[in-house]
Amino acid sequence: MILPALLALPFAAALLCLVLRPVWSLRISLGGLVLFLLGAAAISLGLPQDSVDADTLFALDNLAAPMLPVFALVHLLSHLGTAKTVTSKAYCLRSLLATGFSALALTCHHDATLLALMVSTSALPLWELQERGGSARAFVLYMAVFCGLVLSAFAAGLAEQRPLGVGLLLLALMVRGGLFPAHSWLPVLFSQASYGTSLLYILPLMEILVVIRVVLTVIPGWMLDVAGVVCLVSAVYCGGLAMVQTQVSRFFAFLCLSQTSLVMYALLLHTPNGVTAALCLWMSAALALTGLAFSIRSIESRFGALSLDEYHGQYDQVPGLAALFLITGLASVGFPGTVGFVPMELLFGGSFEEGLLSSAAIAVATMLNGIALLRAYFALFTGKRPQTSIVLTTTWRERIGIVLITLAVFGGAWLTPSVVASRHTTAEQLLGTTPAH
Amino acid sequence: MNTHMLLTVLGLAIVAFPALLLSGFLVAFLLQTRLGERTISTLVQAAVNLSLLATLCAALTMLLQGKAQHPIELGDWVITPYYHFKVEFVLDVLSLSYVLLTLLLCAVIAGFSTRYLHRDPGYGRFFSLYSVFLLGMVTAALSDTVETLFAGWEMVGLASVLLIAFFHSRPAPPRNGLRVWVIYRSCDVALLLAAILMHEINGAGDFDHLVGELAWPNHEVIVIPEHFALLGLLFVIAAAGKSALLPFSSWLPRAMEGPTPSSAIFYGALSVHLGVFLLLRVSPVLDSSALLSGIVVALGVASALFAYLAGRVQTDIKSALAFASLTQVGLIIAEIGLGFRYLALLHLLGHACLRTLQFLRAPSLLHDHHQIENAIGTRPRAETVAWEDRLPRGMRMRLYRFALERGYLDALLEKMVARPVLGLFQTFSRWEDRWAAWLQGGPPSQPVTSNVAEPGTVGHSR
Repeated sequence: MILPALLALPFAAALLCLVLRPVWSLRISLGGLVLFLLGAAAISLGLPQDSVDADTLFALDNLAAPMLPVFALVHLLSHLGTAKTVTSKAYCLRSLLATGFSALALTCHHDATLLALMVSTSALPLWELQERGGSARAFVLYMAVFCGLVLSAFAAGLAEQRPLGVGLLLLALMVRGGLFPAHSWLPVLFSQASYGTSLLYILPLMEILVVIRVVLTVIPGWMLDVAGVVCLVSAVYCGGLAMVQTQVSRFFAFLCLSQTSLVMYALLLHTPNGVTAALCLWMSAALALTGLAFSIRSIESRFGALSLDEYHGQYDQVPGLAALFLITGLASVGFPGTVGFVPMELLFGGSFEEGLLSSAAIAVATMLNGIALLRAYFALFTGKRPQTSIVLTTTWRERIGIVLITLAVFGGAWLTPSVVASRHTTAEQLLGTTPAH
Repeated sequence: MNTHMLLTVLGLAIVAFPALLLSGFLVAFLLQTRLGERTISTLVQAAVNLSLLATLCAALTMLLQGKAQHPIELGDWVITPYYHFKVEFVLDVLSLSYVLLTLLLCAVIAGFSTRYLHRDPGYGRFFSLYSVFLLGMVTAALSDTVETLFAGWEMVGLASVLLIAFFHSRPAPPRNGLRVWVIYRSCDVALLLAAILMHEINGAGDFDHLVGELAWPNHEVIVIPEHFALLGLLFVIAAAGKSALLPFSSWLPRAMEGPTPSSAIFYGALSVHLGVFLLLRVSPVLDSSALLSGIVVALGVASALFAYLAGRVQTDIKSALAFASLTQVGLIIAEIGLGFRYLALLHLLGHACLRTLQFLRAPSLLHDHHQIENAIGTRPRAETVAWEDRLPRGMRMRLYRFALERGYLDALLEKMVARPVLGLFQTFSRWEDRWAAWLQGGPPSQPVTSNVAEPGTVGHSR
């Protein structure tokens, strides 16, 4: 009974936002997201079910239990990091709906419903793009391809687990996840839509969820190999592109893509080690990249869109955000002492089974991401301090966000052993039903 | 409490105090509190001195008990049937010497910096980074597994780079910091791959699985499969990056942008020797292959010769000292390649202390020179080197230009590595922009180069 109430909470809050005056939207959405986080944390601390009945539509299993609070935190932080001036009624609605859809998808155990939920989340960025009056062509085109491939997969026998159906679904997920060469829509989305909307669309990494729930148990080995190579190429390519961008939004988009490609690669290794790494990376990447986006949008809400081809010298104005940028960025590339370190080590360990070349490709991708990150840090925070006549220190909402993210990044590192143990058990359960790759 | 327990507690205390110091800065950050200079100074001195005391006690206990090695196993921090992350430290001649050196010099530098940076707006930032560096050095020095070493190694690298960019209102320090970061990250790839190979060879990242359980510098005869000679080579590349050996030497003078105390501690004394430390730790791997040993000797001698020549023509004292450091580091590396491990360790310890003193003395040296000039009424006689005069004039000129251009290393790395890589990704980025513009319905021929950084600058066109 608790889970349905929790899943209904974001939608109820969205309904309230819709019927009440716009001035209440921010408070309701923030309150709803805080309640959702608390509820998700409470429900996840209870023992999850080891197995779920075949006819259960929504249930919290070992896979979803630890991810639910992570999703809730990602959505809350995204909301906290948005400046009050841009949190319109529509934005609050979108934020709550995105939370609701993500939670539903995470706990969904019916393949077609899960895919329907995934497809329906595409409406939220489209709504914002339409509202902003910008061109949504790239996004619409890619998402049309994604939807077409999902439908084709069903038509080709996905339900009967035919290889063609599975392959088409995998292709669809690669488009949705922005893997090379189907990635071009994501930098465009980050340039055209708000960080919050773009982030909530990409960071829950729904494609990982669908791969685990639908694809992983039925995919042929050769498809795994091909998709793995694509993921590695994508990680290196997007890491390299992140290094040469001069717009912060595009830098972040490519960094996201490179990291998410690594998560997908880990999953497609199809070994207990690889899947454990993927499940841990899923958490750490979502938290770290949300934190990084939080710092970027807090800075851009003060100074507007910033380019990376000059030094902006913002450190003295916002040292807390500078520190947060560095901490979360480093966590995303697996820096020691942060939540991303052990998952990245697990990935390296898992990748060696595929050969030293795979490990080298991952190492190169993390190297490129690390270089891109510090380059962006220097561009944003070093240089001559600009003269301003107004106080630009962090707000209380931002301070709460900074504390939450820092605790998640460093506190998460301390919780790593128990998280890895639980994720490993889940990985073995996921792979136990399939023949070895 | 028996000796075993005592050494374990002392060993953990060595790491714990720097960790507590860093945690203190983190808590202050979380509470959004600005610590005062006196508080910072007290915390730093307390952490370093207590850690130093623990090191001295551990060293004395081992000496008195005649123990050559004491492993501190904290068990597997993360464990699955296919992977384990072991946290393990070791107290032996090598680790204790290096930790003792680290803590001694850090204590000196802490005392110096509290005065040197008094009322500097970056006082708190300096000591926050100092604490990251300290914890990284201590962790790396005591590590008995490659994972623990890598964690410390990375912390040292990050702290070094951020301190190079310490005076961040000028464009040169961040630019140089970024260059150093690029080299560090590139060479860290080698260390990462070495760690993975170690797991493949031993099923674990423990050094004692690789080099045997005898106390350093003794080791069992190890037989590494031939194709894993690659392992030694990867260690050498990682060490070359960290210690600024050829062909990565160009970052060393760039690192002098930071405040004098950080230059002294990082590039004169500790950080630049971390690569040396790594090679000393894995020296049995080098001994297992004559070719590898030869490569190490050649690399060390070439780096020393290069640094000597480049150092001869430097016009600022910090760069001259940086190259002088590199000359000695090159010689120490050659000693390791030749198998003289104790000599290399002694050389390292002596050199680090001398160079720290020289760096700290550097800011007041010019002032003293001016005083001497005023006192004697003329410039002191310039130092000459006899063999240089005997060279043919053409050769001298060529050598001079080679030294002045610092062996053209910067230009070579930029031309042969940085530009091609950046150019490739910039081309891809332009194609991406055109494709996105076409998709969005914009004019395909619209110039989109504004989205792409200038070549050769890792993005910064200033």
